[in-house]
Amino acid sequence: MSRAWSDIEAFEEFLDDGGIVEVDDAMPAAYRDAVFNFIEMHANSELMGGLTERDWIPKTPGLRHKMSVLAKTQDEIGHGHLLYMVAADLGIKTRRQMLEDLFAGKSRFHNVFHYQAKTWGDQVAIAFLVDAAALASQQAVFKNCSYGPYRRILKRIISEEGFHMRLGEDRMMRIANGTNAQREMFQESLDRWFWPALQLFGPDSKPNDVLLRWHIKSERNEVLRDKWVQKFVPLLQSYGFTIPAPNLSWDEVTRRWDVGPIDWEPLKRTLAQGGPDSARRIGEARKNWEQTSWVRDALDEQVPA
Amino acid sequence: MATYEVFLKKDGRDEFRHAGALDAANDDLALVLARESYLRRAEGNRLWLVRRDNLIIAGEDFVEPNTDKPHRHHDGSAVAAHRKATRESKT
Repeated sequence: MSRAWSDIEAFEEFLDDGGIVEVDDAMPAAYRDAVFNFIEMHANSELMGGLTERDWIPKTPGLRHKMSVLAKTQDEIGHGHLLYMVAADLGIKTRRQMLEDLFAGKSRFHNVFHYQAKTWGDQVAIAFLVDAAALASQQAVFKNCSYGPYRRILKRIISEEGFHMRLGEDRMMRIANGTNAQREMFQESLDRWFWPALQLFGPDSKPNDVLLRWHIKSERNEVLRDKWVQKFVPLLQSYGFTIPAPNLSWDEVTRRWDVGPIDWEPLKRTLAQGGPDSARRIGEARKNWEQTSWVRDALDEQVPA
Repeated sequence: MATYEVFLKKDGRDEFRHAGALDAANDDLALVLARESYLRRAEGNRLWLVRRDNLIIAGEDFVEPNTDKPHRHHDGSAVAAHRKATRESKT
């Protein structure tokens, strides 16, 4: 059964009443585009994140951590697959088009995957700070997302991201309980990753943001970002690390942390593929795609469509 | 006659769910029977039928939980203990 709406007002009324849109509904084109762009970026970010994780499989210290990095890589690539399927079903681009656009540098993925993870400390900072930020924004989408197929897929993704975050905090705790050299390494990683992780939430939501109006997202960027700050500032301090925010202050009256003004220039640069590691990241992913084309060709011959 | 598996979904947050099965002479009759057997009282407003012959069913051994892969899990107990100790030291 596919539903249709007489005009955008009727559609918005349906959404405001908590209506859930399904793939075969005759949804307005602008809504279809907005949902598609959102899911495509999420899918790209899972894939690019998975590739970052994969880079660290040979370099990860100790068998125990190495095995968990393997499990996490498999999770992230798996999330990419689940999401590309949901995005492709919207009929705007095929999975192959989405991947080709990504490797041609034409589409977006999260800012944090435009930076290089230089040390094991960076990898831990990503697992803890970035995964927590990504999880918080996904949970806010899951809570009330008006697009049914995306919401159902998020349920599974969120449960696995929770595993990644626990893993990240566990690794950080081991470092915090380690040697001075280890603690210094992590502090340097925190200095590099604190701001990119915070910027993952994006600048303050605009009043006319269609993602909010159409209940694709249910929470404003600045609200999610602030929740993350309130949680992670004291948590990092409890492990003995310093927050790399010169203007950090604690308000006794509101009992809240304030990290001071945020410089959004780095975020803008990464979203235009001009981040410090964008070119290498996309180039590596493209090379991987090209080198595996024989597998896809062989499968196409074996399994006629 | 063929056996069909019936899946129903209500509009809203729920996913498609397996509701049962039925026998029918062809696809069109199967749809009518499904509607009359499973959808008399608004149990759903979307209906999928799949011929049982077309189902690919995994063997039990195949889906046995990967109990030999503990690295896919993390109970977070050490972290929870740290957080608890931090909370208690503040109060």
